[in-house]
Amino acid sequence: MNPRKILCASHGTDGARVAEEAALALCGQGCLFHHLMVVPDLWKGMMGDDWLNNAATRDRYGKYLESQLDREVAAVVDRLGESVQQRAAEFSFETRLGKPADCLLAACLREQPDLVIIGSPRPKGMPGLRSRMEMETLVRGLSAPLLVIPYPTV
Amino acid sequence: MVYTKKHPALLIMGALFLIIGMSTQFGLQDGLITYLNLKSYLGEMTGLAYTAGIIGVLVGVWNLLGTHKEGNLDYYLSTVAGALFILLIAMSIRWYVAPLVAVLSKEMGPVMGDKYLHDVFGLNYVVLGILAGIITVNVFRIPEWADNGVRLSRLGLKTGVILLGTLYSLAELVHLGRLSVVLIGFFVLGSVGLVLWLSRRRRIPNSMGGVLSAGMGVCGVSATVAAAPVVQAKSVEIAYTIGTILLWGVGCMFLFPVIGQLLGLGHIQFGAWAGTGILNSAQVAGAALAYQPDGIETLKVAEIFNITRVLFLPIIVLWLALWYVRSEEGAQTVSVGRVVFEKFPMFVVGFILMFALSSTGIFAPANHYQGKYFDNNITEEKLLKPDQVSLLQAESGKVQRVDRREALQRLTGNRKVMSIDDDAVLRGLVNAKILSKEANAILKGAHQAVRHTAAKIKKFRQWITLLFAFGLTGLGMQITMASIRQAGGQPLVIGGVVGTAKAVLSLLVILLFVRETI
Repeated sequence: MNPRKILCASHGTDGARVAEEAALALCGQGCLFHHLMVVPDLWKGMMGDDWLNNAATRDRYGKYLESQLDREVAAVVDRLGESVQQRAAEFSFETRLGKPADCLLAACLREQPDLVIIGSPRPKGMPGLRSRMEMETLVRGLSAPLLVIPYPTV
Repeated sequence: MVYTKKHPALLIMGALFLIIGMSTQFGLQDGLITYLNLKSYLGEMTGLAYTAGIIGVLVGVWNLLGTHKEGNLDYYLSTVAGALFILLIAMSIRWYVAPLVAVLSKEMGPVMGDKYLHDVFGLNYVVLGILAGIITVNVFRIPEWADNGVRLSRLGLKTGVILLGTLYSLAELVHLGRLSVVLIGFFVLGSVGLVLWLSRRRRIPNSMGGVLSAGMGVCGVSATVAAAPVVQAKSVEIAYTIGTILLWGVGCMFLFPVIGQLLGLGHIQFGAWAGTGILNSAQVAGAALAYQPDGIETLKVAEIFNITRVLFLPIIVLWLALWYVRSEEGAQTVSVGRVVFEKFPMFVVGFILMFALSSTGIFAPANHYQGKYFDNNITEEKLLKPDQVSLLQAESGKVQRVDRREALQRLTGNRKVMSIDDDAVLRGLVNAKILSKEANAILKGAHQAVRHTAAKIKKFRQWITLLFAFGLTGLGMQITMASIRQAGGQPLVIGGVVGTAKAVLSLLVILLFVRETI
């Protein structure tokens, strides 16, 4: 398999990192590596039902949370970008807020990759955010081959 | 940015309100009103419905046909659609769904002693309104045209608390304030300390321990929002904490009223327990109104506890900030003045102002406790009926205390309560539950016949109820299952331990030390 354009969806968790490694292994010289990072829309509800705070406190919290998420995104993107460039491949990335499957389908439509690579869902009981890729939505709508990398064994 | 959305929804909602108002006024709903026992809502079903209807139609036409430009007018008018969206759901529940649930529940017969299913589970307009809000956001989603106005629910709740200030006497405020400072002080500091200790034992990062302790200790999500930037919590730690608190809060809102009914807690006891034991402040108000839907005595107690909690918030945030700076290398220092200034809840000033105004007698004469006054110059139809007199006389033998027996004799002799002192003594007799249920109902009727509420205070009570119904339904629309699902990891374990300990211990303390009188 020698794809010219790979779309890798990764948000830096253990499952996603094995997907990154697999994508990097398939990414040769001159290959286009497009990294999609989805910030799940669950964050929209993370102000919860707070009503006691004033606007200044809520604003400070909103900005703080945004900067935290930005920092986490930047760390993943920087690390992956460096690895891709070491392989003399071309790196691009995008960050989207929404449902993982919808964002991946939209990115796939835009980027027209030869291969899409994702990690598999986290096994039950493992810590992490609960925001799963809707596999049925994804496979029904995807126009490119999909490679799902198994979760790393502990 | 132009906020107004060109959408017919507001116009349709306005028309719906007008239809409700007109059909109520012209008797088209009479059958339904009798079946659902809606007589006490008739004023709202015309007055409020017409007001909301006219606003909805006028602003709806403007939204649809007007030319919108960036600016304050556009911003403020864009909130009307969301506000009316909440109001329509809240009032549909209050006027139709909750009464229907009550009728169906009564048809099933009592399920616990003489209590019906809807009494036991507190299935009234408040709880059903919150549930409707949760279902709306999670199943149907908040429409884009309503997004901006849904946030007004916070304003509704804060205004409700400010107006609540008119209903306290000085003695009540002093007593409840003292009680809440003691209980909240003990349990807030206790749970913050316990969470920090457990976090250290379980080797949880300081940022997670800090944000979790604020949420568990003070006022749930609001404290998490206030403390997260100060302790530099990671995003996943915030998600875990908010998920855990929302899960607990919603669970407690349903569980607390049932336990309160089972234990037969009084209004003060329940208000104090909910105000101390429920983690999230929004659900404290919800549980209080679920426990006593037809009165606001429980809400009054619970809200004093909420206010005390929020007054503790700047102190706790400051404590956590200093603790974090000391525990973590490289942590940013904080300005004490800025934390106190930023976190100080301004609506509490409004509450105190309304209380002060009320104390001057501007809303009701100062000697009218809660705006209620005694006047036994009543019409013939409000006097006790001969069969009621006979029942009270037949049961008078059960009464041992002389003052109670004499007050009862004066009542049966004159067919009405003869003095304010007699009224107080007879209220005590009702609370003592010595007489049968029927006799107590007659005494309550006799009390209501001679106790009148000052018109302004009556309006305040009605507005407070409506504002809380509006606010809590709107807050329900901000509880997403996606955020509740994040409950997990160590915060769920620690939250479970601390939340349960707080609820159980505060219940024990209240049962042992809190009396039902002020």
